[in-house]
Amino acid sequence: MSIAEKIASYEDMVGPGITACLGCNVELSMRTALQVLGHNTIVAIPPGCMGGVQSVGWADKTGMKIPVFFPLLDNTASMLTGIKKYYERIGRDVNAVAFAGDGATLDAGFQALSGAAERGDNIIYICYDNEGYMNTGFQRSSSTSLGSWTSTTPVGEKSKGKSSHKKDMPLIMAAHGIPYMATASPAYMPDLIKKLEKAKNVKNGLAYIHIYNSCSTGWGYDSEKSIEIVRKGVQSRFMPIYEFENGKYKLNIDVKNPIPLKDYLSSMKKYKHVSEEQIAELQEFINEKWDNLKKLCAE
Amino acid sequence: MKNIKVLDGNHAAAIGAILSKPDVVAAYPITPQTPLVQHFSQYVADGVMNSTIVEPESEHSAMSVLTGASLAGARTFTATSSQGLALMYEPYFRASTMRLPIVMNIVNREMISPQSVWGGPQDSLTVRDAGWIQIYVEDNQEILDMTIQAFKIAENKDVLLPINICYDGFYLSHMTEGVEVPLQEEVNGFLPPYKPTHVKLDPETPMAVDPLTPGNYLQYYRELHMQAMDNAKKIIKEVNDEFAEKFGRDYFGLVEPYRMEDAEYVLVTLGSLTGAARIAVDMAREKGIKCGLIKIRSLRPFPKDEVRELLKKAKAIGVIDRNVSFGWHTGIIYQEIKSAISNLDAVPTVPFIGGLGGEDLTTDLMVEALDCVIKAGENKQIDNEAHWLINRKGR
Repeated sequence: MSIAEKIASYEDMVGPGITACLGCNVELSMRTALQVLGHNTIVAIPPGCMGGVQSVGWADKTGMKIPVFFPLLDNTASMLTGIKKYYERIGRDVNAVAFAGDGATLDAGFQALSGAAERGDNIIYICYDNEGYMNTGFQRSSSTSLGSWTSTTPVGEKSKGKSSHKKDMPLIMAAHGIPYMATASPAYMPDLIKKLEKAKNVKNGLAYIHIYNSCSTGWGYDSEKSIEIVRKGVQSRFMPIYEFENGKYKLNIDVKNPIPLKDYLSSMKKYKHVSEEQIAELQEFINEKWDNLKKLCAE
Repeated sequence: MKNIKVLDGNHAAAIGAILSKPDVVAAYPITPQTPLVQHFSQYVADGVMNSTIVEPESEHSAMSVLTGASLAGARTFTATSSQGLALMYEPYFRASTMRLPIVMNIVNREMISPQSVWGGPQDSLTVRDAGWIQIYVEDNQEILDMTIQAFKIAENKDVLLPINICYDGFYLSHMTEGVEVPLQEEVNGFLPPYKPTHVKLDPETPMAVDPLTPGNYLQYYRELHMQAMDNAKKIIKEVNDEFAEKFGRDYFGLVEPYRMEDAEYVLVTLGSLTGAARIAVDMAREKGIKCGLIKIRSLRPFPKDEVRELLKKAKAIGVIDRNVSFGWHTGIIYQEIKSAISNLDAVPTVPFIGGLGGEDLTTDLMVEALDCVIKAGENKQIDNEAHWLINRKGR
């Protein structure tokens, strides 16, 4: 069975007609994730794009075929812990799943997630990383990359976008020693699906999947390029695809001949102002991360 | 034979919770609540009790874990104090608006600054409008008994609201008293298991919890929440009466009157300071002065009808507040009492503030307060400035 046939055979858990932007690859990622995770799932969607598009529901209508709820922006992991602990107590194996943006994960929800990872709570935490608070008009998060324009790191005479690098959340989660951590991209669906299946089978702690998404509305590119953009992200080594499983790192997509970073940056408006110095600084950051990752994977 | 143990307030609370058999407990330690968590953990470690314990990394997560567990169908318990309560304010408010009958003891401690770890109910009083039932108790026996009653009140199908049992830090949490401990079988007979259907996250019965909600629905939910609070007045009394019948201890429900039969001068109290106030009332009674006391037990729902009825013949009233309401220059309970009696003829009512940051509210200070109330009554002095009760020896 091809991967396309396999996806088609899974039931879609998300209702039709949710209000995501045209070409949103986060909606695609969420539908795919919940197709793989299936009916025996309780999903938490904190405030963010996927909450905003009414995947939790509207008034007295649900957005999903499975139990779904809005946690607070900052307590997704803790609420799932409570749910999971009770189901463990009564002897029922239920998937307790987060589908949370980078703001709810790297910023406000970081402490709760770190606590759940440290305790070894058996939840599946999926972060959709579109590098900012896109739902509310693209404010910066700690996942926004250096030089990026955002509405709170604007470009002006005295400012050239965000002045610090993106937080390395995947590596931070791996450093918690959780049983499974993976990065993934909607441009590489077979890889993403395999990782979701692995996460579903983790029973001895927290499974974390970091999906590198993008946002046509906020990043400034034509909506039909949503997959192309994130593929360029991977091919430029900006979005390294790897996993950490039972203490071992593995590079899943080894980008031997990366495309020039400029090709990636110039394909969207949020970087249109970046200087040669900023590009050099970003390149250095990416090279360092890549080299470090290669070393981790070689061990 | 009675099973009487020497227990401090935290230990009494832990035993009350243990006897109520919560499924999931998540608590983050904070002075003066810490020993409660330690006792509870030890009982589970010793196999006396088999609750699932989660050790969260903050109070915010403690309340969040319980919110999740309660949504899955669990009976839940936690406890906190002061800054911990402040940190959990976000999930605290939400636990009530999701109608989750979580039981949380609040070991009352001052809010900083300045830095303090000592007693005072400023913490829980400040969040009185967050939709939780709040009951304030006077001694360690009442802590244990009300911790058990709390589950029965909260989980009642006409209530379904979270509940705080509030007791003073150090004065009760760390002081020992003789406490009668009920038998497990007796508590089992009193407290049925929790089986929620109103809000539940279960793949077998999929439900969306808290979708985006327009104002007309939200307003309807608030109305139902208000009704549940009103229902709680009746349920608190019913549970009190059933408990009194089964266990022999009666706390009078929402508000406890003391020597109120013909009382003209009345002190209104909350929490452990009531003991000293009772003595001041007894001393005045010995001199033939008709005075009494009412102890507010339920702050939310507020027993406005009972308070009005009890105070309708008073010639003067004094409200002892171990807390402040900035901007009013009175305590918080004073305003509650004034609201409750607002449609009675104006009667001299004196706001007292004292005992902050764990300061002693001595019998002498209660006598001073009562004298002040009597004077205001005799002078028919309607407007009264806040009277600070200050232990002059210590300053």
